[in-house]
Amino acid sequence: MNNRLSEETTDMRFTPTELTKQELELQGEVRDFLLEELPPGSHEPCLGMAARKNKEFSLKMADRGWVGMALPTEWGGSDRTAVDRFIVVEEMLRWGAPVGHHWVADRQTGNVILKFGTEEQRERFLPAICRGELGFSIGMSEPDSGSDLASVSTKAEATTGGWIINGTKIWTSGAHENDWFVCLLRTSPLEDGNKHAGLSQFLIDLKSPGLEISPIPFLDGSHHFNEVTFNEVFVPETNVVGDLGMGWHQNTTEMAYERGGPDRWLSPFSTVEQLLREARGTDLEPVVSDLFGELIARWWGIRNLSLSVARLIDTGEAPSVESSLVKEMGTRFEQEVIEKLVHLIDLEYSPDSDSLFERLLAQCVVTFPGNTIRGGTIEILRSVASKGLKGLPA
Amino acid sequence: MSDVSEVDPLITDTADRLFSQVCDHESIQKAEADGQASDIWSAFADTGFPWISISEESGGSGGTLLDALEVLRLVGYHAAPIPAAETGILGGWLMSKAGLELPSGIVTVLPNGSQGLAVERTGDRLTISGRGLRVPWARVAETIVVPLEIDGQTFAAAIDSSECQISRMTNMAGEPRDTVDFENVDVFAAVLPSEINLETFRFRGALSRTALMAGAIEKMSQLTVSYTNDRVQFGRPVAKFQAVQQHLVWGAQDAALARMAAESAGREANRGPALFEIAAAKLIANQAAARATKACHQAHGAMGMTQEYPLHHLSRRLWSWRKEYGGDAEWSSWLGRVAVAQDADGLYPLITGGSAVLS
Repeated sequence: MNNRLSEETTDMRFTPTELTKQELELQGEVRDFLLEELPPGSHEPCLGMAARKNKEFSLKMADRGWVGMALPTEWGGSDRTAVDRFIVVEEMLRWGAPVGHHWVADRQTGNVILKFGTEEQRERFLPAICRGELGFSIGMSEPDSGSDLASVSTKAEATTGGWIINGTKIWTSGAHENDWFVCLLRTSPLEDGNKHAGLSQFLIDLKSPGLEISPIPFLDGSHHFNEVTFNEVFVPETNVVGDLGMGWHQNTTEMAYERGGPDRWLSPFSTVEQLLREARGTDLEPVVSDLFGELIARWWGIRNLSLSVARLIDTGEAPSVESSLVKEMGTRFEQEVIEKLVHLIDLEYSPDSDSLFERLLAQCVVTFPGNTIRGGTIEILRSVASKGLKGLPA
Repeated sequence: MSDVSEVDPLITDTADRLFSQVCDHESIQKAEADGQASDIWSAFADTGFPWISISEESGGSGGTLLDALEVLRLVGYHAAPIPAAETGILGGWLMSKAGLELPSGIVTVLPNGSQGLAVERTGDRLTISGRGLRVPWARVAETIVVPLEIDGQTFAAAIDSSECQISRMTNMAGEPRDTVDFENVDVFAAVLPSEINLETFRFRGALSRTALMAGAIEKMSQLTVSYTNDRVQFGRPVAKFQAVQQHLVWGAQDAALARMAAESAGREANRGPALFEIAAAKLIANQAAARATKACHQAHGAMGMTQEYPLHHLSRRLWSWRKEYGGDAEWSSWLGRVAVAQDADGLYPLITGGSAVLS
C-alpha cells in the first residue's frame, strides 16, 4: 500500500470543467431556438441519436451554424470547439429533436473528410455538410464481420479511372434515405497476421448503378436498417478517402469521434421528463420521487465526465480510452434507466397509448437493447478501455 | 498568490509523499488493533495539514476548501486511519466560524448535531445531557464539537472530551465511531454565521466523505488492475480474460465517476452554496462504492477476502463511509424532492445548472 500516486502513471484523467460565459450563451441560444421550433407538447420526441430525419430541421440548424460547427470556416464550418458542439448536441438530444438527417455527417464524416480527404473532396463535401444538405450512411459491418471489423471482405478492385466494388454491407442505418455511403473496403487481399492492412475508405454515391438497398425491419417495425449489396459498382478514383491501405487507422480515428458524447447517455431523457410532465398535479409516490433524485444525480455525474472528454479533445488530445469508458458506462446507464422505470411504474404500456410517456417507454423497452451494441459493443469497448488501465504507480 | 479555484499541486505531492512513508499495510493494520494511530496522526499534524482551509487568524493553516478536500482524497487513497475530516473541515471549521479558539489536538464532531441531546439554556450558559452516537475518533479527541440549534439560531459548543463518558465502538473498517455520553455538561456555545445550520453542516459532512471515498475507490481500482496483471492462471495473467476485464473497467469507471463528482462538488462548494452538487456527489459515491467494491473483490478472488492483503483497508472503509453523513435513501430522497419541484421543463436545466438554478 505504500505506493506513490503520481500523475505520470495515472494516464486516465477526467478533469472537471465548467462552461464559460460564451458557452452558456450558446446553450441559451439553443434552448430559445428549440422552444420556438419545437415547443414542448408540439412534437413526439425522438429517443436520442436514433432520431427521425427531418431535412428542413437540419437546414434550420445549419442556418444557425450548428451543423459541422467544429469544421473550419473556409469549408463552411464555424470553427467552433468540441465543447460548443457538445452543447448543441446535448440540448438537441435532451429535447428529442429530429437530428437524424445530418447526424452522421456532423458527428464523424465531416471530420474524416477534413482530416484525410483531398482538397477536391473537402470542396465537394464540407460546405454541403455544413449547409445541412447531405445525409451519410456508414459502411462498416458485413454479414460475416461484426465486432471483428478487420475481417471485412467487400472488395474494391482497381479499374480504369477508379474501382469496381463487389460484396455486401449490413445494418446500414438510413441507406434508403441518405445521399452518401462511407465504406471500409478491402483493397488488397487479406494477409496472414496483418488483417489491419489492405483496407481503405471510400465515398460512395448511394444512387450508383449496381448498388442495391434492401430494408431489414427494425425490432419495432420501423425502417432503419438496410442491407446494401454491391454488384460491379463503379466508384471513381477521386472518391478514395485518404491513403490506400490506411483505412483501418482512419476508421479507428473516426470511431474516437463517435464515442463518449451525449448521444451515449441521453437517449432515455425525454421519457423520464415526460413522466414528470404527465405526473404534474399528482402526488408522486416516494419511490418514484427518489428515482428522479437518483437519475438526475447520475446524469449530472456522467455529463461531467463526458464534458471533460470534449474539453480534452479541444486541447488536441485523442482520449480514446476515456471515451470508450464513458460510452460503456453511458449506454448501460440508458438501459438501467428504462429498467428502473419499468420496475416502478405498473402500467401495461403500449406503443399505441394516448399517453406519450407510455408510447416512449414502450419504444425504449423495444429498441434500447441496441444501445450497448451500436458503434462497438460494450464487450469490445471493455477490451479497448482495459488496455488503457494502469495499475498502482511504481 | 496561487489560484484559489485550483488545488495547489504542492499539496497533492506533499500529502501523497507523507502518506506513502507513514501509512503502509502494517501501520494501518496496527492502528485498527490499537484503536488509534498516534504516529500517523503526529506526522500528519506536524505538517499543518489538518487545519488547511481554516484561516491563519483563527489558528488554521490557510488555503482553500479545495486544498483541504484534496488532502482528504489522499487520506482516502492511502486509507489513512486518522480524523482528518473531523479536525479540519468539520469540527475545526465550526469552531473557527464560531470564533472559538482551535485546540492543538484532535477535534471531533457529533455527526447528528444535538439530535437526541437535551440542551438547557440558562442565560449564556448551556447544559447538555444525553448520548451522541457514532462519534468519529472521540476516544482520542481533545475537543468534541456539538452543532446545535436554539430558537432558530445555530451555535457551536466545544466540549473538553474529559467531561464526557466515551464508550468504544467502531465502524466496519475498525475506525473509532464511539458513543459519547454527556451528563449535565456545562458548555459555552458560540453563535455561528447565519449560512451555517444543521442542514448545511450535514452537507459538509457528506462532502468530506465524498472526497475520502473518491480516493479509496481510485486506489482500489488501481490495486485490482495490478493484482490481475500479476496473477497468472491458465498460463496468462487473469487481466487478459474478457470476463475479468469487465470488472476492471467497471472499477475504473466508478473511480472516475466518484472522483469527478467529488471534485465538481468541491469546486462548487469552494465558491458558495452547493447543495445540489454535494447531494448528487454523495449519492454517486455511495453507489460507485457499492459497485466498485463488488467488482474489485470479485477480480481478486480469495486473496481479497484476507486481512493479509490490503484490499480490505479500502473496501471496508467504503462500506462504512457509504452510510456516514447520508446513505443512498437520504440523498435520493432529497434530490428527488428538488427534481420534482423543478417540474418537467426545469429538469434538464437542473442537471446542467445545479445549485445555481436553485438559489
